[in-house]
Amino acid sequence: MAALRYAGVSVGYDRTPVLTHVDLELEPGQRLILVGPNGAGKSTLIKSVLGLVPVLAGSATVLGRHPAAARGRAGYVPQIDTLDADFPVSVRQVVMMGRYRSIGWWRPARAADRRAVAEALELVGLADRAAHRFGTLSGGQRQRVLLARAIAAEPRLLLLDEPFNGVDAVSQEAIIRVLRELAAAGTALVLSTHDLTVARELADLVCLINGRQWAVGAPSATLTASRLREAYGGHAVDLPDGSTMLVEP
Amino acid sequence: MNWWDDALHRATAEVVLAGALAGLVGVQVVLRRLSFFTMALTHATFPGVVAASIIGVNILLGGVVAGGIVALGVAALTRRRGQDASAATGVLLSAGFALGAALVATQSGFSRDLSSFLVGSILTVGPQDLVTTAVALAVVAIVLLVSARPLHLIGFDRAGAEAAGVPAARWDLVLLLTIEVVVVTMVPAVGTILAVSLIVAPAAAARLWSDRLLIITPLSVAFAVGSGLAGLWISSRWNVAAGASISLAATAILAVSYLAVGARKLPARRRPPLAAAT
Repeated sequence: MAALRYAGVSVGYDRTPVLTHVDLELEPGQRLILVGPNGAGKSTLIKSVLGLVPVLAGSATVLGRHPAAARGRAGYVPQIDTLDADFPVSVRQVVMMGRYRSIGWWRPARAADRRAVAEALELVGLADRAAHRFGTLSGGQRQRVLLARAIAAEPRLLLLDEPFNGVDAVSQEAIIRVLRELAAAGTALVLSTHDLTVARELADLVCLINGRQWAVGAPSATLTASRLREAYGGHAVDLPDGSTMLVEP
Repeated sequence: MNWWDDALHRATAEVVLAGALAGLVGVQVVLRRLSFFTMALTHATFPGVVAASIIGVNILLGGVVAGGIVALGVAALTRRRGQDASAATGVLLSAGFALGAALVATQSGFSRDLSSFLVGSILTVGPQDLVTTAVALAVVAIVLLVSARPLHLIGFDRAGAEAAGVPAARWDLVLLLTIEVVVVTMVPAVGTILAVSLIVAPAAAARLWSDRLLIITPLSVAFAVGSGLAGLWISSRWNVAAGASISLAATAILAVSYLAVGARKLPARRRPPLAAAT
């Protein structure tokens, strides 16, 4: 079963499409990178997979269901700046939030839950920070904690919204390594970024979007100068060495 | 003579119960940055209790209805994208107070009761008020215990909570209505206007002392109960208005806490209350 299947999909708010013509098919273990400028609709596309933004046209299935019916089944790593860093919560408590779906709201955590939390923290290399308050960590470490929380939920489809924004090189390497391991174990990944280097390094599939889907396919076929110019318009600048630089609006 | 026949004994029991109530819910108010909303709620409760008093129904009922309307209104506003909830909350605050004052002006010989609705009248608390406060304390404690995980998840990471399928707006409503129940229950002790200080100040002070909810919560309750008892003692010792001295005691605890620890670890305030992250 495909983790994600979009055919001729438009998504948006209040019946106004933000992103149109989306055709995607993602198999378990595949890594899909969403590339596009700011405001292209990357976050909106991710939220549509989560069932938080309605599909206005076309056919969309997430883990074999309608996105709204699949709500809570896909893992999600939000952008770190949407979180309340002052909230009095420890790293371990944040990762435990990933287990709430299986624990429920009222039952105490079981030994299996605590083990899953410890393993997820181990995987992202932050086991020694478990007792620290979340807000005291660096941006990159916070992002890894959120990744650990998503992993603790053991999702078959994991969505990450700009996970490399405000992240140091060490954390970026750690996140990329963990994402490769997850994909190798069969988790389907959808990740948005405007970092083309990361996209080339990590992607099985690239989906180039800006208001609509401009291209989808292997990085070598999608992250080309002509494709990028199409999607980014005047924000793609050709350099003398033949490569393309993107200028954020 | 029965211990409960003494007005000061009843007042002592009432400040302990009301303090515990305020301290418990105050933690949520402070963590979710709902102090301004709570302020509006207290002012909107005022016309509710005045109207209830005029038509002769239970003032708790009047307060809950008026505050409930505001809670629902603010919840609806924060769900609409692009709406400035703080502007609407501010308008509701003064409109509520104006409506209460207008209602009072329609009645002659009402001024004594008016001040008791505004700043409380702890020494006239009756056994019925004590029972009401005790029941409210039990209900609020159970609601906050049962909704602890969803409320923390939503408060910390609203986008993540919604992605996980948590109905954030519904849990917000549970929280807003719980705050309203606390405000209304505290009217006999500290009145509608002063309730906000006993809810916010002890919890804000407790937050300065710890980063752990398991410590912040009991500390907040202890600070609120302590404020109540200290205010009551000051009031009986120097014949100062009880509601006012309770509020000032709570403010003093916050001021001392801030001077002791706050100045070196003042948390950054970046997000608006009930941030409707979209």
